Amino acid sequence: MFQVITGGSGSGKSEYAENLVLSAGEGERIYVATMIPYGEEGRQRVERHRKLRAQKRFRTVECYTGLAELSFPQNGIVLLECVSNLTANEMYETNGAHEQTVEAILRGIDSLRAQVKHLFVVTNEVFSDGITYDEEMMRYIAYLGAINCALAQRADRVTEVVCGIPVKVKDGK
Amino acid sequence: MRLIIGGAYQGKLTYAKETYHITDGWVDGRICSREELSSCRGVHHFHEYIRRMAASEKQSAVLTDLERQADEFAHMLVKENPEIVVVSNELGYGIVPVEKTDRLWRELTGRICTCLAAKADEVVRVVCGIGIKIK
Repeated sequence: MFQVITGGSGSGKSEYAENLVLSAGEGERIYVATMIPYGEEGRQRVERHRKLRAQKRFRTVECYTGLAELSFPQNGIVLLECVSNLTANEMYETNGAHEQTVEAILRGIDSLRAQVKHLFVVTNEVFSDGITYDEEMMRYIAYLGAINCALAQRADRVTEVVCGIPVKVKDGK
Repeated sequence: MRLIIGGAYQGKLTYAKETYHITDGWVDGRICSREELSSCRGVHHFHEYIRRMAASEKQSAVLTDLERQADEFAHMLVKENPEIVVVSNELGYGIVPVEKTDRLWRELTGRICTCLAAKADEVVRVVCGIGIKIK
């Protein structure tokens, strides 16, 4: 099962996705953390997510770039959060994929998907504020949009979380 | 309690007025007081009320505390005004704002609306004037 969970900021995506993992049956729960905790606010954000996950028996694997290089167990029930961070990392970190960001991330997800039992991927809706940003930011938005579309195509299920409520976007291939 | 959400200029207030037959008793989140929130029939621009609230409370700077704040506020509101119709913009669908206060406001609005949605009898998302009942 490969499921994509999307939604806006502060919509309750993470909690919803974690609960999907909890109800996914037997296996090793693995959380792939992608956010580089820059500064105090970044640290607080990571801390908030850690608290949400406490008690849920997740093994945390940090992956900022190069997802395709990692190996995961066959019985893994993996939650990757979040594609929007991973995209920024691949674009801007020195060891990132830069112009090949879209390909690198899709290769990473495909590799992960082929290895584990269930994969849940959290991404983000950043496309609707109507603001024209500088070229670099527009490129980020375009990359993330392309990745989201490609992930949704591969996914068995796509769910948008709105105010904590799951709204079905795609169900079945 | 009913929650109506959606993007800006989607016809949320018109939808709420027509659907629930509430023509008066509305207050505007841009200017209303805390007391008015507990006695009104409905509030629109609710996200703007949260902006003012976040600006007046310095402790909102602590992200890890947002959940608790959001939960407390939502709980109080529903307790004081169990029949209220809340109309709010969805704010989380853009790029992370540059200003820290904007980021906190956006996040606080999302968390409060999520708490309200959990308590609501009905949640409707309005897109292009059309209401889609999601709860």
